[in-house]
Amino acid sequence: MMIAKALAEEVLACAMGGGADFVELYGEITRNNRLSMVDGKIDRATDDLISGVGIRAFLGTKTVFASTSDTTRDGLLKCARAVAAAMGEMRTVERIVLTERMFPNIHPARVIPSSVDAKARADILRAGCFAAKEYDPAISQVSGVLMGVDHTILVANTEGLYTTDRHIRTRMAVSSVASEGGVNQSGFDGPGAGMGLEFFDTVDPAAIGREASRSAMVNLKADYCPAGTMTVAIENGFGGVIFHEACGHSLEATSVSIGASQMAGKLGQQIANPKVTAIDDGTIPGAWGSVNIDDEGTPTQRNVLIENGILKNYMIDRLGSRRMGMPMTGSARRQNYGYEATSRMTNTFIANGPDQNEDIIASMEYGLYCRKMGGGSVNPLTGAFNFSVAEGYIVRDGKICEPVRGASLVGTGSEILQNIDMVGQNLERAQGMCGSASGSVPTDVGQPLIRVSSITVGGR
Amino acid sequence: MLFEQMKQALITAAERAGLAQYEIYYQVGESVSADTLKDEISSFSSGVSGGICFRCIVNGKMGYASGELMTEEAMAELVEKAVSNAECIDSDDEVFIFEGSPAYAKREAVELKLTDPATVRDNALRLQRDTYAQSDKVTDGTQSSVMSSVTEIRLYNSNGLELSNRVGVSCAVAQAIVRDGEEAQEGAEFAEGEDYECLKELPAKAVREAMEKMGAETVETGKYDVVFDGKQFRQFLSAFSSVFSAKNAQLGLSLLAGKEGEVVAAPFVTVTDDPMRTGCPMQTPFDGEGVATGRRAVIENGVLKTLLYDLTTAKKAGVASTGNGQKGGYSSPVAIAPYSFSIEAGDASLDELLEKIGDGIYITECKGFHAGSDAVTGDFSIESAGFRVRNGKRAEPIKSFTVAGNFFDLLKEIDTLGNEVRWGMPWGFTVFGSPDVLVRSMSVAGK
Repeated sequence: MMIAKALAEEVLACAMGGGADFVELYGEITRNNRLSMVDGKIDRATDDLISGVGIRAFLGTKTVFASTSDTTRDGLLKCARAVAAAMGEMRTVERIVLTERMFPNIHPARVIPSSVDAKARADILRAGCFAAKEYDPAISQVSGVLMGVDHTILVANTEGLYTTDRHIRTRMAVSSVASEGGVNQSGFDGPGAGMGLEFFDTVDPAAIGREASRSAMVNLKADYCPAGTMTVAIENGFGGVIFHEACGHSLEATSVSIGASQMAGKLGQQIANPKVTAIDDGTIPGAWGSVNIDDEGTPTQRNVLIENGILKNYMIDRLGSRRMGMPMTGSARRQNYGYEATSRMTNTFIANGPDQNEDIIASMEYGLYCRKMGGGSVNPLTGAFNFSVAEGYIVRDGKICEPVRGASLVGTGSEILQNIDMVGQNLERAQGMCGSASGSVPTDVGQPLIRVSSITVGGR
Repeated sequence: MLFEQMKQALITAAERAGLAQYEIYYQVGESVSADTLKDEISSFSSGVSGGICFRCIVNGKMGYASGELMTEEAMAELVEKAVSNAECIDSDDEVFIFEGSPAYAKREAVELKLTDPATVRDNALRLQRDTYAQSDKVTDGTQSSVMSSVTEIRLYNSNGLELSNRVGVSCAVAQAIVRDGEEAQEGAEFAEGEDYECLKELPAKAVREAMEKMGAETVETGKYDVVFDGKQFRQFLSAFSSVFSAKNAQLGLSLLAGKEGEVVAAPFVTVTDDPMRTGCPMQTPFDGEGVATGRRAVIENGVLKTLLYDLTTAKKAGVASTGNGQKGGYSSPVAIAPYSFSIEAGDASLDELLEKIGDGIYITECKGFHAGSDAVTGDFSIESAGFRVRNGKRAEPIKSFTVAGNFFDLLKEIDTLGNEVRWGMPWGFTVFGSPDVLVRSMSVAGK
């Protein structure tokens, strides 16, 4: 245990001394290891140990937060005193009594990445990068990374909670560049999971490399995407980034609770086409965005956000819960001890719908089929979003035709939710890192094939 | 002090492991910030974080290990992990523990210190009050944030090189939300400085920006002459800064590879990297390898003069390092990045630029570069907002359109430059700047 119970009690009592009504202590030890490969050679191997605590005090909806990488007793007490001093007048506090609590581990990992020799991990990365290079002679450059995260947290608070959790993550990403006649095009694949290195028993590293190169080769043969407003079909997996950006961020208490979201005050309203049901589920075993407990010690859960187009719930952390008068949803997350936890997504996806995938493409007279999406961003206030299409094709007379590159999709969340007028049945999730107020956290996005009746396609 | 103690522990462990070439890099920062909601401080934070990185050369390969835990046992573990990491490297790149540059620039004699917590709070509350006071349309969700940070950097290596630096920044953001009926819009302004005097214009600017966006419609798809606000155009430099990295060029990931000496931009375009820019809080006399930094034109009058090099890429190219081998944080491996990187100003005022295009678009907001730009290909397609320009004057607001093109073409197609460089917020040691920029006939996708 990184911080003994008695010390945690002392630190919490000290931080309560400024008149707070609640204090939370978050401790973290994270071992990150990372190998990178480029040009057929392992060129970087790094290990990093993140170790520190964050202490946060609440008084109603006011918070004071301090963090430190000095985890000695003196360091912790200094941090606690800083919190108390910033909160207000000093007073004495009754003893805080903590009770140790264990939550079930529903994401067991077998092979801890940091315990495996770098040379053995390097072989996995090589398999992926070599397969990418061998895919086609036009593949001019391949780079890849293999990352392992071993993340142990401790959460103690003045409600008496004292608990820990350990979470292992593994991810490999390969980027391929295809070149011809002075033109470069790129492709990417980067699956990961809340698993140890046994992840590669379920995913072939070479398949990751081949997928990155396949996509680069498609783009090399593609012309620029025409611009304009059109019907768009978006494939499963990372296509779910559209929901993550266009709607997910606007459902986080961070923006909803202060009225800075287009979705504030809309519970029970029809905000999407009735074919749309969307879920944030932090309990999917071994998933990239899953955790047993959130970073405030609340067990994660399956939150139905939108059901048949009707807004059912938000993603709510402790501060959001206080501001909104609604229960916490196990959605509090932070990159590390230096950030205050706030409401974030875990594994967020649109559920399977009523339409056959073939019918979706067949229904399109002219439009764009987005087989792979890149990243995107959104303004939660207006819902204005943008995201890039990593692999796209023109659809003509119900058939997928020539590939096009350089496209992006722009619009607003409320609009696109109403315009998702067909939802297919091949739900799949894909992995990403989501950056927001509390730093960068692993999240899954997902959906089946969907059709958006009308959206602005940026191209030229 | 702690650094000296950890340094000694690392030296002892390194000697025990028989290492002749190693480096210790220490970076620890302190920060304080306050955020407001309505008329209160909603959140006040302070933090201390950072750690030590140990790297060493074993059989010609460089291994890294880093951590925040400052104990002697942890230091011994860093040495062990760094050695084991070196052993799995198979890159043939030549690696170096640097001997030292003949001279290093001196920082401006400005005392860098953390803004005291009371001032941080007062400034945040005052900004918030002043923002609400701008208009009765300013609504809840409006936030003012004030932050200050100071970071200490120490570098020691087995050649006896010892260097130190302190960087820090104090700044504030006013983020106004205005509501008119159903429509809500947002405007945000940022400024550096500890005194309210430096921040006092933020509320009016943020509210004005939000108000001006009211009623924006999208624009017809087509080709338009465009004036980019410098605050937006500098994002292009940021998104495509990796094309100036010699590492990317050597790996075939930059289309500027092999173009040193060739024309890559319009003949009046000069792009400069300035590590010791006057007034910049992140002045950096040495890079993450201990190499002295220096001001240089990367593009001069349209001609690519140099790429940015670290020791390894410089050796490969047979040139000297430009001192751009940065470490973004204590745990980051050395990676090539610029410092104060900007397009130098021309001489046109904004009014003159708008006058010059007559009919077109003035872009005041560009978003989503991380998704909408590809540094390998140079392609971009960026969500934008701004104003139509009619008869040489700013007209109605427009939104939800994309502007698309290719960065390498864009550099050549710059038609006119504005007369003032607008600098952004530092990120690590890097900060980007650009004047307003006029570009003819860009692809715009709207309705």
